[in-house]
Amino acid sequence: MLCRTIIQSEITLCHRIFARGLGTRSSWDIVTGVCVERLPVVTPPLNDIQKKYKDLLYTLEIEKSMKSAHEIRHENDKVQAELLKNESAEVDMDAVSKITAQDMEDAANEELAQFQFASIETDADKKGDQSTTERCLQRHLVLVTPIKLGSDVKTLLPQGLWKEGETLRQTAERVVQEQCGPELKVQFISNAPCGFYKYKYPSEINGKVGAKVFFYYANYKSGKLTKTKGNWLNRSELEKLLPEKYRKSVNEFLIEETY
Amino acid sequence: MMNLSLLRQFSRLALRPPSRIPIRIRNITTTPAVQFKTTDQLCAEPMKKKKKIDPQIVKAREERRRKKLEKQIRRLEKNARQLKPIDELEVPLDLLDNFGKRKRPQPKLTAEVIEARALLQKDWARYKREEYISNVAQIDRIMAAQRRALDKLLEESEDLYNEAIMPDLQLIPYEIKGPVATPPIKSYESPDGEYIDVSKKWDN
Repeated sequence: MLCRTIIQSEITLCHRIFARGLGTRSSWDIVTGVCVERLPVVTPPLNDIQKKYKDLLYTLEIEKSMKSAHEIRHENDKVQAELLKNESAEVDMDAVSKITAQDMEDAANEELAQFQFASIETDADKKGDQSTTERCLQRHLVLVTPIKLGSDVKTLLPQGLWKEGETLRQTAERVVQEQCGPELKVQFISNAPCGFYKYKYPSEINGKVGAKVFFYYANYKSGKLTKTKGNWLNRSELEKLLPEKYRKSVNEFLIEETY
Repeated sequence: MMNLSLLRQFSRLALRPPSRIPIRIRNITTTPAVQFKTTDQLCAEPMKKKKKIDPQIVKAREERRRKKLEKQIRRLEKNARQLKPIDELEVPLDLLDNFGKRKRPQPKLTAEVIEARALLQKDWARYKREEYISNVAQIDRIMAAQRRALDKLLEESEDLYNEAIMPDLQLIPYEIKGPVATPPIKSYESPDGEYIDVSKKWDN
């Protein structure tokens, strides 16, 4: 075991020295990409088996339960009503004249029926507006912004060049600030990048062959984009939009949706 | 040593402090001479006026104090045995009284229903297993992606790598909300209602 760890550390050291030896000055640009994700607001819909099992659990729970005070009261009410119908002498008039359990249940049901739950389909969903987080409440949404690469503009995750003297995490925070405006609040999940992507420039720029993109993962907290027009896309829309290789690298670190 | 301490006792009477008196006594000690000096004792204190109190009152006061203490001790002893009950854990007596009344008649399940339920339980177990396996696979995939990114970063720059593997202390305390069953209604004010605090006070 000890031997193995020593050998392993030796190998990594050799590897590092070798990598250093190849080029004292890196010929790649270091770029930080930020994957800002809005987590689902509403729980995803249940699938068939989940629904079935939920129903089973509910029935089991009722079968194993004791009667509630409301049910007892309802039964008493029934007995009293029966007695009243038969014009029995034992009827306790005080007990009958009050509100029955059935009345209370009806009133509660009516109140529930009147209550308007917010719709899962928001205005943005109806309009097909992708620029707001108030859409696809049951899904994960990822922020994409137009990025200028050389002469053409592509829609990718927000990204920016790393500057000398800052850590990659600081670059990621700066990128979000610069490209989305100060109003957008996000929470970074780690100091470490969660994904990697590498691409070559069509021709060398300032002696750099291409760019190595280190993705950082952050969760959306609050606020809006103010600077650029970005879109919040769900998984299938991301699939359509992103270039194939880039999409593969991004999909590596994203959670799969099961529905 | 003994002679010296005796001398200090009478130092007040001496005209000159004892240290200056040449002591021609042969002391045999195993320790080197210690140069500690004791301060002179005063052996008296300023006089205090004494109040005269009726002995009856003093007695009554004493009595009262003793009774008070005894009462406190008794109360403490009583409370030591009696623990503060937790209301939520105690079944109310009226529920225990009509326990039989609250029993629900057990439904007669047919063989088909029992069979269907058993099958559903098994299906559910299988479904959860698959879900678990896919979750683990996803976590593995995401961790591998991060590992790869970190390895690439190490190739690029060791300093950046060292910064990246530092723990992120801003994450603690971590708070996350949701997801919820129905979307929140904007500008909805929940009806607070009125309530009466019925919790008992348990101070001694």
